Amino acid sequence: MNTLTDEDLMQKVSYGDLDMLKVLFERHHKHIFNFLYKMSGDKMLSEDLTQDVFYKVMQYRASYNNGKFVSWLFTIARNSLKTHYTRTKEQHDDIKLEGHQLIEKQSNEQEEYSHLQIALNKLKTSDRELLILNRFQEIKYAELAEIKGSTPGAIKTKVNRALQKLRTIYFENI
Amino acid sequence: MMKKNHITELIPEYLDGLLSQSQKEEVRLHLKECESCLKELEEYKTIFNAFEEEKEVIPSEHIKTNFFEQIEIEKQKESKVVPLINRTSNQKKIWLLPIMKIAASILLLIGGYALGNYQQEQKGNHKIAQLQEKTQKIKQTAMLSLIGNKSASKRIQGVNYIDEFSNPDEAIVAALVDRMLYDENTNVRLTAVEALSNFITSEEVKNAFIKALKIEKAPAIQIIIIQVLVKIQEKKAIIPMKKLLEQNETQPFIKEQIKSSIINIV
Repeated sequence: MNTLTDEDLMQKVSYGDLDMLKVLFERHHKHIFNFLYKMSGDKMLSEDLTQDVFYKVMQYRASYNNGKFVSWLFTIARNSLKTHYTRTKEQHDDIKLEGHQLIEKQSNEQEEYSHLQIALNKLKTSDRELLILNRFQEIKYAELAEIKGSTPGAIKTKVNRALQKLRTIYFENI
Repeated sequence: MMKKNHITELIPEYLDGLLSQSQKEEVRLHLKECESCLKELEEYKTIFNAFEEEKEVIPSEHIKTNFFEQIEIEKQKESKVVPLINRTSNQKKIWLLPIMKIAASILLLIGGYALGNYQQEQKGNHKIAQLQEKTQKIKQTAMLSLIGNKSASKRIQGVNYIDEFSNPDEAIVAALVDRMLYDENTNVRLTAVEALSNFITSEEVKNAFIKALKIEKAPAIQIIIIQVLVKIQEKKAIIPMKKLLEQNETQPFIKEQIKSSIINIV
């Protein structure tokens, strides 16, 4: 079972072998959780959303198109987070909530955040997302392009620019 | 040396080892000459180290438990329900609202309960019908085997089983007719006649009675047969009755019975 690729497993799931989802969950839930946690800074929310992401994988298993599983999974994770923020934004009528929320948290729970995380939080969401996916989750440019609906070349340029911004922020605040 | 073409864009990939041999060489050469790019390289190293040292947070175990539970629930649903795919994006959004989720789960709960109840009832009804059919079959088998028994009392018992059947099938009727016509024991024949008299409206039973009238020698049975046939005004019974009148061995009281009955038939 451990020799099967994610794609093999997901194919089995899409044909109704739901037990294979357990293997996929074991393999990836920590990555998804950490991605969400780094993006949101909210552990509870990230746990809820992680569950939600895998639940959606199960729900929409029939629509799995045999593409790279990790790309699909992170696409779902991104959308879950986006939906969550859109909803909170609507509820609080605060356009810049994401940034504010993170910075507020950062001052409240200073010890929980590394210098890197603080610097990352100062980036705009799309840059932060790219770096978290690329550097933490080790998602390659090709898969990032799939997730973001772009080309590997364009993604590479964006990642580099985000890195430069991060570098500036990181070293001016050290 | 020329310092115009800084290699800023290449540094991350250089550190990741993603550059081609010639690009690597280019970076190396440039770094020897360019102070600012060397500083940049060091900074990237620091950041990349920070990325690597950033500890992974472990989510709590309950999300696994929860999700595995959801899988089990889905499995059970799967055996009953066809998966819903091809939802429109609009519907998808609606589904993400917590209130909709709650509403859906309540609906699902009520629906599930109702469905369960309904199925249970259906199953119940079906089971009762099956059970009734089964007991009917058992009774029939018991009856037929009793009728075929060597012991006369068992055969009588078997014939009396007819009370259990409101609508006996051909096999039972045939077995009773057989006993009525050919059983060596008078009491068995008598019981069979009594049993079959309840089904005299059936053409098959009627003909069997007429035949019995011709061959039956026991006066006690003859008299019942005559009474049953006269009651239904069976005209085909007239000839065998007249024959009985002619026969010497026919008991006088039977002859009396026939004489008084024949008038009623005509």
